[in-house]
Amino acid sequence: MTSAPATLEREIQRVGLALSEAFPSHRGNPLKALDDRAMELAAQDAKLRAALFRFVDVVPACRSLDDLAAHLASFLEQVHTQPPSLRAAMRMGDTKAGRTALGAAGAAGVRHMAHRFIVGEDPKAALTTLRHLWRDGIAASVDLLGEATVSAEEADRYAARCADALETLAAAYARMDGQPQLERDASGPLPRANLSVKVSALTPLLRPEAPERGQRDAAPRLRALLRQAKELDAHLHIDMESLDSREAVLELVLDLLAEPEFADGPSAGVVLQAYLRDSPQTLDTILDWAQRTPRAQPLVVRLVKGAYWDHEVVEARQHGWSVPVFERKADYDANFEALTARLLAARPLVRVAIASHNLRSVAHAIACNRMLGANAGDVEFQVLRGLGDDLGQALAANGLRVRAYCPVGDLVAGMAYLVRRLLENTANESFLADQAHGVPLEQLLAAPEAPA
Amino acid sequence: MSTPAPFANEPVLELRRATERSKLAVGLGELRLPLKVPVWIGRERRFGEELVSTDPGRPERVVAVAARATREEAGAAVASARAAFPSWAATPVAERAAALLRAAAWMRERRASLAALAVRECAKPWSEADADVCEAIDFLEFYARGALELQGGASPVPAGAQLLQVPGERNALRYAPRGVCAVIAPWNFPLAIPTGMTAAALATGNTVVLKPAEQAPGCGLRVVEALRAGGVPADAIALLPGEGDAGAALARNPDVATIAFTGSGAVGLELLRAAAEVAPGARQLTRVVAEMGGKNCIVVDSDADLDEAIPAIVDSAFHYAGQKCSAASRVLVHEALHDGLVERLAGAVAGLQVGPADDFATDVPPLIERAAQERVERYAAIAAETGEIVTGAHDVPAEGWYVAPIVATGLPQDSRVLREEIFGPLLTVEPVGDVDEAMDRIDALPVALTGGLFSRNPRTVQRVIDRSPVGNLYINRSTTGAMVGRQPFGGNRLSGTGTKAGGHDYLLHFVEPRVVTENTVRHGLVV
Repeated sequence: MTSAPATLEREIQRVGLALSEAFPSHRGNPLKALDDRAMELAAQDAKLRAALFRFVDVVPACRSLDDLAAHLASFLEQVHTQPPSLRAAMRMGDTKAGRTALGAAGAAGVRHMAHRFIVGEDPKAALTTLRHLWRDGIAASVDLLGEATVSAEEADRYAARCADALETLAAAYARMDGQPQLERDASGPLPRANLSVKVSALTPLLRPEAPERGQRDAAPRLRALLRQAKELDAHLHIDMESLDSREAVLELVLDLLAEPEFADGPSAGVVLQAYLRDSPQTLDTILDWAQRTPRAQPLVVRLVKGAYWDHEVVEARQHGWSVPVFERKADYDANFEALTARLLAARPLVRVAIASHNLRSVAHAIACNRMLGANAGDVEFQVLRGLGDDLGQALAANGLRVRAYCPVGDLVAGMAYLVRRLLENTANESFLADQAHGVPLEQLLAAPEAPA
Repeated sequence: MSTPAPFANEPVLELRRATERSKLAVGLGELRLPLKVPVWIGRERRFGEELVSTDPGRPERVVAVAARATREEAGAAVASARAAFPSWAATPVAERAAALLRAAAWMRERRASLAALAVRECAKPWSEADADVCEAIDFLEFYARGALELQGGASPVPAGAQLLQVPGERNALRYAPRGVCAVIAPWNFPLAIPTGMTAAALATGNTVVLKPAEQAPGCGLRVVEALRAGGVPADAIALLPGEGDAGAALARNPDVATIAFTGSGAVGLELLRAAAEVAPGARQLTRVVAEMGGKNCIVVDSDADLDEAIPAIVDSAFHYAGQKCSAASRVLVHEALHDGLVERLAGAVAGLQVGPADDFATDVPPLIERAAQERVERYAAIAAETGEIVTGAHDVPAEGWYVAPIVATGLPQDSRVLREEIFGPLLTVEPVGDVDEAMDRIDALPVALTGGLFSRNPRTVQRVIDRSPVGNLYINRSTTGAMVGRQPFGGNRLSGTGTKAGGHDYLLHFVEPRVVTENTVRHGLVV
């Protein structure tokens, strides 16, 4: 007789293999698809990586090609072991004509990279991509990139952009053909239009030591968006950011959704970050709330690893605090699986979205779902536009419900997002990097070793 | 005693967690006011009611009732410290250091109540009050270790004490304490700064007379209690609550070997003058360690990320209502970004909450006293008259020494608002053609304490580093919050004596070097 874990493990391997075979072969793996050798170089050399990302970061702030080239040359000066291609670039920086050419090449490279991750300057411009995705059996969640919100006017502007995006998305999706796989699960119908919003953009007053202040200020703007989403039958997902704002964001969202007017809609969701050591307790909070707060459309919980790992580690170390995130990949991977199992078992109290590019984590969720006897469509998988495209296609091809997280915004606003994604995915522990470097499938699918 | 573990900063409370915030609230609830603060010389305590500190946010709430030291008491305190000096100086440095470490432990056990006192007496908002307690602990821990290194005979010999040795002679340098140190402390870091200056003097074997700021005698009392509880002999540390005349009396006393001062430029210069005057009967030149004001500028180049620069500027200028020596008071921004920065900054400032220090949500607490409020309002009037105030009206509590945060632009370069230290929530913004023009303006100032730069070009960063005269330059971050051991703090030019609190060479200002050279040749033989 085989034990349950062994059965699950076999199922994970089977699912993982099926998925990997469904990866589109024509494009190779996602990192190579960036067709930018710089990324490959960057992953190998920390100094070069820093120089390139600092360059990407500053591109929108440069006033001319000359200025751009001056920055590029200035960053590259700090890289001691320069590959020949970079030495050539440095020499170009010595003349005005060279700088113009170098600046133009640099700007084009960054724009090219940005377009892989950012689907359009505004929601209207993004519609073509969103339609293509939908036709291919992939839903989307649109995220409006923007400058940081430092004033009430900026918070109002962001809220207005969100309102406009909800209108645009609802109208556009209404005209698309039916995709039964994307529009219903065991809990009922799923909205087509889906917008992700950030509380830090809805208020300039998020203060870690006074969460109620940002909550108070963001509440009217978020409430208005919830009302609009309800009216348009759109889904509103509230993103999670760094730990500094977690208490403010989670409390705010759960409080608002508990208001009587939102009991019968809209569909809404929160995010659970598996890299946080206390994420199991956060899940307790969410599930307790869901138990107490009956909703026509269950709260969607998007499970992610978390995108602020460096920030959390640096902040904790600078202040002498215990580090709030798991520092070993195996530990947060194991926690991700534990939270996946709990979330899937908690249905129909909540809906579950698994947002990961890690083939093992995804295969684990699919296998768990099967073993619980649920339908394939009763769990959602989310991927990032530009990084998880191939995985998304492979999942869709296997009959799973997929949603792509699609950032929308101009290059200036998008740069912070772009840099974060690039850093995250050239990190040594990145699953995508492993995959790109040809780590064997068995290793990619291996169970995270038990926490130390 | 065994060698202490390597220095590490005392972690501030993780106030983003509700459990930590409630600890501080408990500390406030347990605070019994008013405190009674005596003139405390040796074991003698004289209580009095001549000096009263009140809550700047609720002036009718009395925080401490103190005796005001007379000139005679200042003299008695110095005489007592003078008498205690030989014995404390002869106490092994390991024992002195151990006393300081025990004082740190005493404070650590009382973190919440000490922070609460700083909240009440000086209107330090919670996170800053907590940081002030941590910094006080840091100074005790840091200087205890520093003294062990400097005077402990530990090997290797401190770099400054390494001498050339040639055959036939033995050269040795040691650092002896100087004598009585008068510590004249400010109210804006009411625990950390008096603790720091006092700890430096005591650790190296000096005895101390501490005169806390008249606005903060309660905090001064706690500093002395901590040190005595830690085992510093009563005679080695006297508490002299008082006003300017007590400080002046200390400065003119020929038995004061060192004056350690943090405060305004005017008082600092007066102390330097008084110290330069060799009084009849003086047997020592008085050394002054002075930390005075600044006119701190932040330069924003055209490639700066305003998403990061604006919050950092707001923090630097308005936290603790701009009442830090390190606070930013001028922004010099590349003309290409000027209008956008002013608009966003004004919007950010409009959202700041002006309120009592004990509210976790407060951004801008009241100023320390009515005179400070009036001073800032005078500068605001000049700014309104000769420039433009871009921030609007603010909700400000009616009672208490509140001033709404102000951003002013368009001031003439010779404006007093651009040259004088305001020490309040008033920030000016001016456009510059480029970073070099900004550095020319900064170079024209007579003070040089802190500075800031926002730029993403490493070459620009280097150019500003090369040209910057300030004691503490911060790149792409806020200009306040120097940490012991990480950002040794102190200014140049008329901002101070170039001494660096929380740095490895700070203790050298509290000692005198003595060199002994012994001839080891006898009858032509090296013995």
